[in-house]
Amino acid sequence: MLTPATAAPDVRRPDRRRRIRQGVRESLAPYAYISPFFVLFLIFGLFPLLFTFYISLFDWDPIGEHRFVGLDNFSELLHDPRFWGALRNTFSIWVLSTVPQLLLALGLAHLLNHARLRLAALFRMSVLVPYVTSVAATTIVFAQMFDRDYGMINWFLGLLGFDHIDFTASLWGSHLMIATMIAWRWTGYNTLLYLAALQAVPRELYEAAAADGANGWKQFLHISIPSLRPIIAFTVVTSTIGGLQVFTEPLLANPVGGLTCGAARQCQTVTLYLYEQSFGQFHFGYGAAVGVALFVIVVAFSGLNYLLATRIRSERP
Amino acid sequence: MKRVRSTAVVIATVALVLAGCGGSGGTSDPKTFEFWSFANINQKADVDVYTKAHPDVRVKVTEVGSTTETAQALTAALAGGKVPDLVLIQADDLPKFMQSPDNFVDLTTLGAGDIKGNYLDWVMAQSTTKDGKIIGVPTDVGGLAVAYRTDLFKAAGLPTDRDEVAKLWPTWDKFIDVGRKYVEQTGKPFVDNTPTSVFFQAVNQGSQRYYSADRELDYDNEQVKAAFDVTLKAFGAGISAKQGSFSSGWTAAMKKGDYAVVCSPSWMLSQMKTNAPETNGKWDIATIPGGSGNWGGSFLAIPKRAKNAKAAWNYISEMQSPKGQLDHFLMQGSLPTTPSVYTDPQLVGKTDPFFSNAPIGKIYTQSVVGIKPFYFGPQDGPVGTEFLNTLTSVEQGKVDPANAWNTALANVKNAVRE
Repeated sequence: MLTPATAAPDVRRPDRRRRIRQGVRESLAPYAYISPFFVLFLIFGLFPLLFTFYISLFDWDPIGEHRFVGLDNFSELLHDPRFWGALRNTFSIWVLSTVPQLLLALGLAHLLNHARLRLAALFRMSVLVPYVTSVAATTIVFAQMFDRDYGMINWFLGLLGFDHIDFTASLWGSHLMIATMIAWRWTGYNTLLYLAALQAVPRELYEAAAADGANGWKQFLHISIPSLRPIIAFTVVTSTIGGLQVFTEPLLANPVGGLTCGAARQCQTVTLYLYEQSFGQFHFGYGAAVGVALFVIVVAFSGLNYLLATRIRSERP
Repeated sequence: MKRVRSTAVVIATVALVLAGCGGSGGTSDPKTFEFWSFANINQKADVDVYTKAHPDVRVKVTEVGSTTETAQALTAALAGGKVPDLVLIQADDLPKFMQSPDNFVDLTTLGAGDIKGNYLDWVMAQSTTKDGKIIGVPTDVGGLAVAYRTDLFKAAGLPTDRDEVAKLWPTWDKFIDVGRKYVEQTGKPFVDNTPTSVFFQAVNQGSQRYYSADRELDYDNEQVKAAFDVTLKAFGAGISAKQGSFSSGWTAAMKKGDYAVVCSPSWMLSQMKTNAPETNGKWDIATIPGGSGNWGGSFLAIPKRAKNAKAAWNYISEMQSPKGQLDHFLMQGSLPTTPSVYTDPQLVGKTDPFFSNAPIGKIYTQSVVGIKPFYFGPQDGPVGTEFLNTLTSVEQGKVDPANAWNTALANVKNAVRE
């Protein structure tokens, strides 16, 4: 009579085990599915980040000596006018490019959303053309347009009787030039984001407003803008992060002076300074310290943006 | 099924990533070697000549990119990647690699000691360590001369014959005088810019640059100061078109004849032809003020971890022999570093119709024989950049010439890392 008693659990146990195993499997499966991203992030995101922190504590020649210097790189950075200059340039270029860019994108999106717009698809597609053009090509064309003696802009200024402006040599001129390149590239992209959000706004709102006698400007101000709040917050955050890391435009805008973007480093951004130190002069430790400083600044600004964005989002129109 | 698939995804991902990181693999066939060069210097033509003579040898040439990009790729490779067997390094990038000579094969172990006498001593000195290790064999030098517009010189009442023109400017001071005369006559600027065409050339003509003879950093010296001052003088004379070398304005002004002279190393000649084809035949070439000078040049080196150093060395010793370099010059135009061929009739007889049939081989080789060797140090890059940038700021009206030297020293001091 022992047989059934012992046999029964024998049958049940594998079943239970299987169920437990299956339970474990099912609870682990989602992690397995998302693991490719995290594995890649660990290798190409987190590891380089931590390694950057690590080498910023060294005097690090990539093919030679690695000498531990503690926080020396950072204290040097605090007293380095080139770093502060690069930071000033970065913020100036960021403001000059982001503010007009987002305002213009808002206006364009409003126009493109108009119910009676003919060839809407064509116009909506064409705003994206600058975005798909190579940055290098754009930069070279813009640099020629802004040239002191032979550029189109100065030719035009000359026709109007003004003196030529040496854009690349001056602080504001070079910032304006680079900001124009960035705005040219990203305005269309942001326009489409705004447009997508606007399409979700019920047409009846506009029709009702029109029936009440609100003109285009009033509709823009009181319907479009309030409905766009969350997406505006989003574009401000992405433009900030992108704007603080501008690199290609200043690298190619001013060939005189190599990696300094001008003789007085007048348009050298933080990332370009990082590149000059690391890859131009092989000071990887110091370059890493610049990178860490930039990381801290970007995190701080993203946090600030996040706070602003949540406040904007929670306010009801 | 579900489990199998998700696990497989993870494994495949990890495997892919690991494969990307590790794995140097490759062949170690003694007849095959890998060669990294920069683009636009046509080393492939040399390799073709070599493989035709040695059909059993296979050379895998990779044109990495610009000179800087090639140096960066080499840096990454040396720091822990797959290294080539042979690599071309530009002279400006060489000092950074000379800091850590252990990354390279000491070529004296392969026989470089026997052939080093074939090359210009001041070039060889750049790739030789303090204790006599040879890291690189020079492939070419830039040389220096002045390219000038004969039509514009004629219009300004200046002589146009290249020997007479050379006699006008034995020194930089005389060069400035000629410039003044030109500006008076034509009302147009004379030289493309002063930082590159004057300072960058003059500072390389002394017996010391930014380091002392015992390889200590010493940029605040009389020779550098003299080159700096003569540049300020040239700027003060109002002869500069203030077009930064290689900028879009520089190219446009070259086409339009808005300046009459450019101090030009031999490798710049082909750029001028591409930039301003419509000026064909209007240029000529004369000796540079001061008589000698160099800008540029490259070296071939073999990384220590190379799989096939011997095959790479065989290539160097054959293709960089005096005869090899002469053939390369006749084919490609880059200047040999082997003085024994400087009197070769083929080299002396080489002329260029774009530059009024100037004997470019003769003029440029003469500019490199009188050069005094000086030490190129690891900080040469940043120091040179700051001096040049300060002088450019003077041209752009951002720095007062009276304060320029002190500004430059302050900038250099800040840029130099001990």
